[in-house]
Amino acid sequence: MFQLLLNGLAMGAIYALIALGLLQIFNAVRIVNFAQGQLLMVGAYMGLAGSAHFQMPMWMTYGVTFAAMAILGLVFMLVAYYPLRGKPFYLVILTTIAVGIVLENLVLIIFGPLPQSVPSPFGSAHWNVGELVVSKHVVFIFATTAALLLVQWWFLMHTRFGRMVQATSQDMEMARLVGVRVHRTVAVAFMLGAMLAGAGGLLVAPLFLADPAMGSALGLKAFVVSVIGGFGNLYGAVIAGLLLGLIEALVAGYISSNFRDAFAFVLLVAFLFVRPQGMFGEKQSERV
Amino acid sequence: MHVLPLRFLIGAAAACAAATGAYAQGAASCPNPIPIALTTPLTSGVALLGIQAKLGVEHAIGEINAAGGVGGKTFKLSIEDATGSGPNALNSMNRLMEGKPVVLFSSMISPHIFTQNDAIKNGETPVLVAGTNAQLMKQGNPWLIRMHVHDGQLADAVPRYIVETLKKSKPAILVVADDYGLGASKGLQAAFDKLGVKPVAVESYGLNDKDMTAQLTKIKTSGADIILLWGRPGDVAIVLKQRKALGIELPVIGNPSTVAATTVANLTPEESDGAYGIGGMLPQVGTNQKALAFAKDVLERTKVPPDNFGVGYRDAMYMVKDVIEKVGCDRAKIRDSLRALKDWQGLMISYSADKEGELAHTMGIYRNKGKVTEQIGVIKAGSN
Repeated sequence: MFQLLLNGLAMGAIYALIALGLLQIFNAVRIVNFAQGQLLMVGAYMGLAGSAHFQMPMWMTYGVTFAAMAILGLVFMLVAYYPLRGKPFYLVILTTIAVGIVLENLVLIIFGPLPQSVPSPFGSAHWNVGELVVSKHVVFIFATTAALLLVQWWFLMHTRFGRMVQATSQDMEMARLVGVRVHRTVAVAFMLGAMLAGAGGLLVAPLFLADPAMGSALGLKAFVVSVIGGFGNLYGAVIAGLLLGLIEALVAGYISSNFRDAFAFVLLVAFLFVRPQGMFGEKQSERV
Repeated sequence: MHVLPLRFLIGAAAACAAATGAYAQGAASCPNPIPIALTTPLTSGVALLGIQAKLGVEHAIGEINAAGGVGGKTFKLSIEDATGSGPNALNSMNRLMEGKPVVLFSSMISPHIFTQNDAIKNGETPVLVAGTNAQLMKQGNPWLIRMHVHDGQLADAVPRYIVETLKKSKPAILVVADDYGLGASKGLQAAFDKLGVKPVAVESYGLNDKDMTAQLTKIKTSGADIILLWGRPGDVAIVLKQRKALGIELPVIGNPSTVAATTVANLTPEESDGAYGIGGMLPQVGTNQKALAFAKDVLERTKVPPDNFGVGYRDAMYMVKDVIEKVGCDRAKIRDSLRALKDWQGLMISYSADKEGELAHTMGIYRNKGKVTEQIGVIKAGSN
């Protein structure tokens, strides 16, 4: 039972981590980036290239990955968002899906279809606590998710740039009128969103292997988590992520593993019907 | 000096002329180049399987053309990406049929082949496949021929091996939740039932799932004495990793994915050690020098280690070449010859057609010793 709960929480922390990247972009431009999973996959392959192909030390691999993901986030914004700003939101969403497919196929062409393992800074080290097996890498994921949540919250609430992001998100024109450099703010939000996805890729690849299709399922789960937590709400996403991980583990453990994925999406539909603002979201009225 | 009798020389020359004439006669009905087609997933989550068909057929065609082709005519291969979806697999087959290939290869993804079934019938072109669903050849499609062992054969062989050879009586079944895994799970449970053994756990995971720890934890507490694992190399590697991470020391046996080079490459020696696999033949393993050379050459050219499917498609292309040499490019004659094949020797096994168009009946038994995979036996379908 405790092992099941621990495994569920570990998976939940991963969902939450991916959702944090999704929300970074959403909180700036109110657009759901459906390529967030594919950005995570690119981060995983950056880790693979750095550690396995170029034999870099782990700290350098992480540093290079963050830098490359920031650039990719900027390019992503220029391709998927910038040309369509001001157009109906669904066009941007469709473009993010298209860019995600392009990223997936590019990685397939460059690295091939075979899954490949990415080393963890902790190897396969673990602690045995009675019957429980606690992987050090999983604890690292918990710690990183918690740290990123705090940093992101502090950034949004306590920095000038964070307030500019919030202002841009609430009313782009008004923000521009009061002197916010909107394009620069949006660009930084995309760069940070991609960097968070890169962090997710570096952290999950040692557990799951890197493969070109790894992002789609994880990206969808991050979307589910964001809806359940209340879109835009950081701590809501983390709590919803942990909750979803736990529920999935318990469903697989005590009902049937066949229903594990189905249950997550039934939960999504149920929230959309009953409480579309999510657990911690507030009801919003449409701007006229 | 030893002088050959004149009569012998004349006889040998006549035999050579007759043989060449026969080949030329076979190939005379063929266009030049001879069109061959292949539809297989080269993108999507099943691309790591689909790529095996491409590298197997391409390797064989490369060798055959370099050796002069058939009667001086070379093969030309057209390839379409079936992606991971049935409709795309069907569309790709329809597009390839428009090019009038003399033989078409489809993939190892059974749902794709079920979708393509009518197009195959209407196209009246022999189609060689490696889809492993046992029901695939029971559709009564005379143009369909399978060159790989199927789940029905494995579902019979693996439980018998577990019970009779490994002496285990509490198996836990863990499969990927798609047509491949769930179909196998039913067959495995039925076979265990015949042996008087009831699995202590029957679990599955989604095709794109990355976390199988809940299922493994359940198996750990079920009292199982062996895990029977059925999946693709990518997800099987994750299961073996997570098994070790959870401290589960139960032996694992499964389809060839548990011992495939693509799986073992992603595991540590501890994660890989002790896993058994039963299924199509793996070219990297054993002492067959031709198979080892094939595996080495493909890996060098494509950076992808060939597996049981790669060998199957390579053999199937050579079969096609031999048949065309004999009967030419009439599609019905090619089909009939392939369906009448007896004891045709491939790279690692001998192929004989049965009345349903099944060509392969031999499986290898493999075991990982650390990261090294060893062949520990061979099973003929229907016998252990």
